[in-house]
Amino acid sequence: MGVKESSKKKFRRAVMWSALTLIILLIFLSIYGAFIGAEQTRNLVNSLPLSVYWLAWALVLITALAAFRRLARVPRLLLMHGGCVFILAGSMWGSDAGHKLQEQLLGIDKIRTGRMAIYEGQSKNLVALENNQQAKLPFSVKLTDFRIEYYKPVYLRVQTREGRSWKIPVEIGSDFSLGPDFGTVTIIRAFENFKITIEGGIVYDDPEPGYNPALEVQIKHADGAVRTQYAFERSPGHIHPEDKFVLRYQRIISDYISELEVIKNNKVVAKKNIEVNHPLHFGGYHFYQHSYDAEAGQYTILEVVSDSGLNLVYAGYLMLCVGVFWHLWLRHIFTGIKLKSE
Amino acid sequence: MEIKYTVQGLLIYAAMSVYLLAFVMSLLRRRKVGHVLYLFGFIIAVLAFGYRWYDVRHTPLQNLFEVFLCLGMICYPVSFFCRRILQVGGRCADMLIGAIVLFPAGFIFSAEPQQLPPALQSWLFVPHVAVYMLSYIFMAKATFQALTQFAGKSYDGDEKLLPPEEATYRTICAGFPLLTLGLVLGSWWGKLAWGDYWGWDPKELWSLASWLVYVGYFHFRYMFGKKHARINSTWVIAGMAAILITLLWANLSRLFSGLHSYAT
Repeated sequence: MGVKESSKKKFRRAVMWSALTLIILLIFLSIYGAFIGAEQTRNLVNSLPLSVYWLAWALVLITALAAFRRLARVPRLLLMHGGCVFILAGSMWGSDAGHKLQEQLLGIDKIRTGRMAIYEGQSKNLVALENNQQAKLPFSVKLTDFRIEYYKPVYLRVQTREGRSWKIPVEIGSDFSLGPDFGTVTIIRAFENFKITIEGGIVYDDPEPGYNPALEVQIKHADGAVRTQYAFERSPGHIHPEDKFVLRYQRIISDYISELEVIKNNKVVAKKNIEVNHPLHFGGYHFYQHSYDAEAGQYTILEVVSDSGLNLVYAGYLMLCVGVFWHLWLRHIFTGIKLKSE
Repeated sequence: MEIKYTVQGLLIYAAMSVYLLAFVMSLLRRRKVGHVLYLFGFIIAVLAFGYRWYDVRHTPLQNLFEVFLCLGMICYPVSFFCRRILQVGGRCADMLIGAIVLFPAGFIFSAEPQQLPPALQSWLFVPHVAVYMLSYIFMAKATFQALTQFAGKSYDGDEKLLPPEEATYRTICAGFPLLTLGLVLGSWWGKLAWGDYWGWDPKELWSLASWLVYVGYFHFRYMFGKKHARINSTWVIAGMAAILITLLWANLSRLFSGLHSYAT
């Protein structure tokens, strides 16, 4: 009996040392990863030696649950350690290797991640993969509209060559005084797509696809001279040698919105306006607002991500948080309340 | 170095000065005066934070200026909670920590108001940053206790308060769940905003490293108890070093460019 107890103790100690070693290794791996960057770290953690390491983690956690009866008996400890197992299992299932395994074992052919560039009015089911290949979704995604929203009010920055500056709210037609030494600024009009004719130099707002936001600004100098200047959002600080002021017109983006429809068998089966932080979830995929056509605002770029393993990871997060709070906070609060009431 | 000749700046400098004065008074054994000054400094820090909130029209936790302003404000409640509930001392050091964390807000980082970019317009923004800030102050307090344990003395001399090794453990027990929640909320938010709950971004990796150091501390302490108190304290100090790198180096250095970088 004594020998059995002693070997049990030795086994438990070995499990604890293994866990501590894996924790220390992961600390160093995280620090190393921070230096080499996200892309290389992603490749490293998906490599074969690291796959063995993650399996060792899962194995040690499961062994610990078996070796330390308390871990399995005390719910809060079980939640914490079981949560870690769930997170590892979920992330393995959702990884590249996990997707290959799903295909081989269960015949589930799912795209792990890719991108879709869709023009307004167009529907598409082709996803561009990282290896420059394309894969098909079992449904199509249609972009009905893409738009960018800006914070209001929008400001124009006026700066002298000596560095003195003013921030003027963009209100068409209203005057803004820069003081007796500098004169007055009036914003005459705003353009979404500024163009100028070669003959005659006539400026106009082109309704054709394009994106060149600008302001026409009239400056009445203190000496009475009047000049017209243009401030271009995409060319900040654009200035002529005779201009006394540098103008900067910069709108701050508040949101990117893609209005999407999911079409399956010629029927619209889902609709959502996706924004950053508000993806569309359909058919085992999440669709994210990734990028857009910066030249003309005609198309959107969506990131398509498989949701495999995600529920396991989220369950693991929940278990971990509940376990940690229960073990380190709630247990003591309840004991305190109990003692007080007694 | 950027001195702020604004109401915001004046409030920060006033809070810093009062915290420092409270620290000096406590060192001179004028503890009651020190405590009253510490409370007064906290009120000024709340005013500075509130003023900023009014100025930018959103919860001011967007950039390092606002984060350090918040840290300077939450020092007092954490210190009060630790003393009253956890029986952990070190109030004198907390006053100094308050002044130290306000220094970057007062003199280093720009207070230029900024609009929230689309990625930060999420309900997870405030809880994610706020729980991290709270946990950092707990961990800073724990680090002070660990250093006290290294020095082999207790500054407070109050019999009701715990000895440094136990005080370190108890403070970490209070801060670690918040650190865990911060990490999990960040991961969840990353999934909603960028499509991945873990992007192996340098800041994510540094925050994982700091979380793991405390996980290592708990396991080591479970294995050996108080037998190797100095090694226990070394874990805690290493955890704080990782937190400082997460908060400052990973944010500011171009060496760690990534989704969280404020350097670009």
